[in-house]
Amino acid sequence: MNPLIFTTILMTVLLGTMIVMMSSHWLMIWIGFEMNLLAIIPILMKKYNPRTMEASTKYFLTQATASMLLMMAIIINLMHSGQWTITKVFNPTASIIMTSALAMKLGLTPFHFWVPEVTQGISLTSGLILLTWQKLAPMSILYQISPSINLNILLTMAVLSILVGGWGGLNQTQLRKIMAYSSIAHMGWMTAVLAYNPTLTMLNMLIYIMMTLTMFMLFIHSSSTTTLSLSHTWNKTPLTTTLILITLLSMGGLPPLSGFMPKWMIIQELTKNNSIILPTLMAIMALLNLYFYMRLTYSTSLTMFPSTNNMKMKWQFETKRITFLPPLIVMSSLLLPLTPMLSILD
Amino acid sequence: MMTYIVFILSVIFVVSFVGFSSKPSPIYGGLVLIVSGGVGCGIIMNFGGSFLGLMVFLIYLGGMLVVFGYTTAMATEQYPEVWVSNTTVMGVFLLGLLMEVMLVLYVLKGEEVGVVFKFSGVGDWAIYDTGDSGVFSEEIMGVAALYSYGAWVVIVTGWSLLVGVLVILEVTRGD
Repeated sequence: MNPLIFTTILMTVLLGTMIVMMSSHWLMIWIGFEMNLLAIIPILMKKYNPRTMEASTKYFLTQATASMLLMMAIIINLMHSGQWTITKVFNPTASIIMTSALAMKLGLTPFHFWVPEVTQGISLTSGLILLTWQKLAPMSILYQISPSINLNILLTMAVLSILVGGWGGLNQTQLRKIMAYSSIAHMGWMTAVLAYNPTLTMLNMLIYIMMTLTMFMLFIHSSSTTTLSLSHTWNKTPLTTTLILITLLSMGGLPPLSGFMPKWMIIQELTKNNSIILPTLMAIMALLNLYFYMRLTYSTSLTMFPSTNNMKMKWQFETKRITFLPPLIVMSSLLLPLTPMLSILD
Repeated sequence: MMTYIVFILSVIFVVSFVGFSSKPSPIYGGLVLIVSGGVGCGIIMNFGGSFLGLMVFLIYLGGMLVVFGYTTAMATEQYPEVWVSNTTVMGVFLLGLLMEVMLVLYVLKGEEVGVVFKFSGVGDWAIYDTGDSGVFSEEIMGVAALYSYGAWVVIVTGWSLLVGVLVILEVTRGD
């Protein structure tokens, strides 16, 4: 793609999300979502083959439907409250429709079916933008309407997402699908605590973005999109195997690493609000996630995965320069001792 | 009949929307789009928005739909699908028509229809001339306000249109 056009389109994606996050008029928020969707389609279709076209079409259709539902909720809100400013949505019908629309944009269950298929059909860099930047805009709107969201619907979607994200990822060997199911599960954790303490949603989003960024960059660095290909990184860059081990365990939420911080805070906040069964269920289902991360680390860093002899050597293309990889790795694994700093968020 | 003109126009509006939503070939979709555009213009004019109705006719029907018609005529196939050629298309069209007829009958009975908002009988659709300031037309002032207070909206919309053109060129360019 012409570099100037590519830069313009990428800047429009950024501008769309910024408009969503900084507007106070519901119509401008909808315009921001549409601008974001319009501009990310050619980014998803960077490589021109039928799979990317199919993936971008699926993404466009689901997100356009979600935008239509959002517009309907905005108009019902306008009809019942007579104004266009962003406050909590007072009418229950509008609130439910808006929650469903934003859940479709995020990829929460029962609207999660597009996430693995779209992520699998596009290149690794596009998948990175899809799973990290595109989650910011809907989450910021959910944060702003959080006092009025119907708790039953929100918690049902959250728990089902954690379930689907865990079980769905179990049978996968394609790395992009694994990251997609991991995204579904993390969105579930984020929306579970939204009604109780929205600050923790933002914390979880921050740490999730850092870890997903790290994982994708490690995959891009070793040019691997399947488990088999990832298991050959010991041959190409042995250091990457250790980094993949640490980051994957952090994504699974294991204690001395920073991925544990959001899960710990969320469980604490939920138990403070006298719900015990829910965080127990969520923590148990996070084990499913941990299982397939462990399987990846097992085949990558802990064992030398069996393969035929002529496949053991990975072809050395020119080294990709990955920006910010060392700081990202440090941040996604060593932030746990900084947890007392969260008191500044009050 | 004139009192209920908005209701009649809205029924024709919905029927033509059903007509192109049942997915015949784009040429026929454009045909009912013309009808729905004209009828929508009538609805807006009945609410006092003569400027906006004129905009619909001039810009939407006379500009965008004409270009759409030309491009579709260039890309059309030898036997385009009509509503009666394919069982599926006809089935969906009849289903939409049936639902609209049932809704109209329910409304005409004069009882309350409370789906999302309460709407009691056909009387709700009649226009009463109240709140008219009488000196200037409110909707032309609204359009003028778009260019003064709403300058940010103009910038955002203009940028979206530019990026829309770039995106379409990128997507259809191919390799």
